[in-house]
Amino acid sequence: MAPAVAIAAFVVIGGIGMSLVQSLGLLPLVGEPRFSLDAYLANGDELLTGLGLSLGIATASTVLSCIIGLTAAVVITQGRVTGRLVAALSALTIPVPHLIGAAAVGLLISDSGVLPRMLGIDGADWPDLVGGPWWVAVVLEYTWKESAFVALVVAGVLASRVARYDETAALLGASRARRLRHVVIPLATPAVIVSAIIIFVYTFGSYEVAWLLGRPYPEPLPVLAFRLFDAISLTSRPEAAAVAVITTAISLVVVAAGMALLRRTPLWR
Amino acid sequence: MSRQHAIRRRGVAAAIALGLVIPLAACSAPAAGDDQQYDTWDEVVAAAQGQTVKLWMYGGDEQGNAYVNDVLVPAAAELGVTLEQVPIADTPDALNRILSEVQAGTTDGEVDLVWVNGNNFGTGKEAGAWECGWTDLLPNMALTDPADPLLLDDFGTPVDGCEAPWHKAQFTFVYNSDTVTDVPTTLDELLDWARANPGRFTYPAPPDFTGSVFVREVLYSVSGGYENVPLGFDQAAFDELTPALYAELQDLEPSLWRDGETYPQDSNELNQLFADGEVDFTMTYGPATLTQLVADGTYPAGTKVLTLDEGTVGNASFLGLASTSGSKAGAMVVANLSLSAEQQAAKAEPDVWGQFTVLDLDQLSDEQRALFEALPSSPVVPSYDVLSENANPELAAAWVTPIDEGWRQLVLAQ
Repeated sequence: MAPAVAIAAFVVIGGIGMSLVQSLGLLPLVGEPRFSLDAYLANGDELLTGLGLSLGIATASTVLSCIIGLTAAVVITQGRVTGRLVAALSALTIPVPHLIGAAAVGLLISDSGVLPRMLGIDGADWPDLVGGPWWVAVVLEYTWKESAFVALVVAGVLASRVARYDETAALLGASRARRLRHVVIPLATPAVIVSAIIIFVYTFGSYEVAWLLGRPYPEPLPVLAFRLFDAISLTSRPEAAAVAVITTAISLVVVAAGMALLRRTPLWR
Repeated sequence: MSRQHAIRRRGVAAAIALGLVIPLAACSAPAAGDDQQYDTWDEVVAAAQGQTVKLWMYGGDEQGNAYVNDVLVPAAAELGVTLEQVPIADTPDALNRILSEVQAGTTDGEVDLVWVNGNNFGTGKEAGAWECGWTDLLPNMALTDPADPLLLDDFGTPVDGCEAPWHKAQFTFVYNSDTVTDVPTTLDELLDWARANPGRFTYPAPPDFTGSVFVREVLYSVSGGYENVPLGFDQAAFDELTPALYAELQDLEPSLWRDGETYPQDSNELNQLFADGEVDFTMTYGPATLTQLVADGTYPAGTKVLTLDEGTVGNASFLGLASTSGSKAGAMVVANLSLSAEQQAAKAEPDVWGQFTVLDLDQLSDEQRALFEALPSSPVVPSYDVLSENANPELAAAWVTPIDEGWRQLVLAQ
């Protein structure tokens, strides 16, 4: 146990520690190290709009993925042909990298993408799904990929536990709707919460999908961090590190809140 | 507290401390690699034998990738140097890598050569990312014009032998002559055309390289010509000249693609819009690739180059040698090879890469000059002489960041 924790701590804390040290101006590329909070204050407005946007994208993607994924899991565990089809689709979706997924979504639903061409709709009349004000394409890509993830995780839990309880409840005369409400969903809840934490933190900190399918302004936090990191002025590296530190801190808060929620579920005890 | 718990706590604390201390300890400046100092070209060639050179370059240009891998790599192999191309999304990726290696004190880094110019060069020079003073060792530097201003200063930063010239570029506007009937002849007229044809023109959002230079072109135009903008950065000049620039671009915004609510993220996205017929203009630093794009049907058949009366910005790009490289001799051999008349002429072939040469044709032998005279002319792109007429100089790198930042705040975020 101790060696594993030590290695993980070395990597994680070392990386975050380096970002923290850089963000506080203690590791400049040129000039003397000097402690300051300037990097945290330099992009105040963009940080706040970026934070709102990132939280919005992550929340929308997480909620949609959990609803669709849970529904798919219930269908899968019914064990009929539809269930096997949904299971196969989910299993096929998982290995597709997000980068490829984003490119595919872009090709499909951009202004002059495959879909508007097939439907014969002119690019000018097609809604701004890619690079539009509502970030539809970004949320769509995350939802498509992550709902498959939720479906498989939850279906695994349901398959191992629910069958017995479900049969018992059926023998006792519970209708299908009541079994869903009182047996299936409560049993699936912990797995859904764990999946939700993972999805939220992932979509909150992911760069490539938001960049490929997004717009230049406002920027989600990871895109803002990367732009600052890649910016040509040497002073913006601490600013990039500051955005990364803030992103990490919020992710940790979300994980803590999710774990607290998990501990309150009856099954966890 | 149980004993096991205490041990675990101490282990974690030690790991945290180490994780912080080791990187910090590595932050002292790297010692100069004395084993890689050469006095004569023969020493360089001898030391280069068997070395592997990694050339980091923008990998979004298929013709560029093909030239390097199919023409330059075999020629380097004949000289005993293994050349490997590392395609990257954006030149700062390579610079970031070198700067991280400089911070860590690496002396045998992952980056040897970088295709670079402008801000990336200036920033890197400031931070010690480049090896300097090595280009006068290269025999083929004699084929360039020693007084060529494009080769002496790179966006206002003195070259100082920190990079070897590779090719010249000319910023070029491109339009679809089938849809644009009243062709603009100045930048001012181009912006008026955009106002008269809402939704048919846009430009990439800076800090994209192409979008950034477009904004500087507009700055020259609203200032009454590049002569009125001091090339070196000057805060007073910035405060005086940029309000007119941002006012112009704010005024233009509603007439742009998607009503100016957003902009293409990079030049590839703008090129895609042009290829799909969503806009009637695109812009590029590499007009030579247009011939191929029209020939294979990617761009509309009516694609033409727009030449402006006041000229456009021209520059040279270079091969920079990373100060953290462990194969400096090999890198110098590759840089010298890239400057040979054979390689420069091959690279200038429109169906190879079509990059304009940095060589001075007057310095070449008749045999070498014949290689360039044999180059075919393009139905789409005029010759470099025509393109580079009235070429405007690039502003110093120090201008770029404030202009781009101002654009983000005053144009994009409004």
